[in-house]
Amino acid sequence: MKKKIVFLIVMLVLVVGAYTGYKYLYKDHRNITKEVAILETSAAQLQAQFQNDLAVGILNKTIQVSGVVTEIEGKTLTIDEKVHVSFTKEPTALQLGNTVHIKGRCIGYDDLFDLVKIDQAILTK
Amino acid sequence: MDYWKTNIGMKTPTLFICLLLLSSLSMGQAKYGTKTGAILFEASVASFEEVKAQNENVSAVLNTSNGEFAALALVKGFRFKVALMEEHFNENYMESSQFPKAVVKGSLKDFEMSKLTEGVSEFMLKGTITIHGITKPLETLVQIKKIENTLVLETEFILKPEYFEIEIPKIVSNKVAKEVFVTATFSLSN
Repeated sequence: MKKKIVFLIVMLVLVVGAYTGYKYLYKDHRNITKEVAILETSAAQLQAQFQNDLAVGILNKTIQVSGVVTEIEGKTLTIDEKVHVSFTKEPTALQLGNTVHIKGRCIGYDDLFDLVKIDQAILTK
Repeated sequence: MDYWKTNIGMKTPTLFICLLLLSSLSMGQAKYGTKTGAILFEASVASFEEVKAQNENVSAVLNTSNGEFAALALVKGFRFKVALMEEHFNENYMESSQFPKAVVKGSLKDFEMSKLTEGVSEFMLKGTITIHGITKPLETLVQIKKIENTLVLETEFILKPEYFEIEIPKIVSNKVAKEVFVTATFSLSN
């Protein structure tokens, strides 16, 4: 009887251990769509922040940006020629000149094109 | 004779400025670029979890008048299948908050726009690569196809993490290859 209980406890510990270990190793990716934006700004303001080295704490964070679409290319678009946005799904029914509000993860500043880059984005409005 | 006071002398600067403007205009047209180039790297070891990531938002510019080429990848834009691997890649190995960019700068040897066809032309890219804040020389063969008004550039090369002072901890070192295989594709347009 005692042996059985010890065996059961050991098994339980092993199973729980294996499960938490697996959960840690194979945890899910961040879901940017569900994250709350830490900052709401315009494309121009965001670009200015990066150009003036004031973009502290924005990298890798979820932010919301608004502006006018100046370029569309596949799953990506450029806002006000200042922010380049890559969507998880290709946005439909967008045209040049549309005003958009997007939410996504800021991955940094591209100084070849002078653009702030955002990925995993969705349209919020 | 005061030759600089003649009519021709007066007109030369205007002509010069016009030529300068024209040449800068044509220079502007000689730039082909993309904001959605792709870089894929793999450092998998057989029978372990694959170590592979892709960045589909790489910027690149080629100056077709002199063959100068530059590419910039934001390190945080590399996506892995396993979230924890992506986290370790950014936080422990590449330290991407401190070094957010990976940059290639160089020039294609003997590049001539007129040589390009729909078939593959090959050029040697000689330049530098900067990763993890460390710059090393880079030499790689680039294949270029011209399809309508798009230049499709493809290249592959091998990098060693140790060259860029990227330390792979002992505990995972047998699961990450010593040589990282990199492939890049850019569809440049003007």
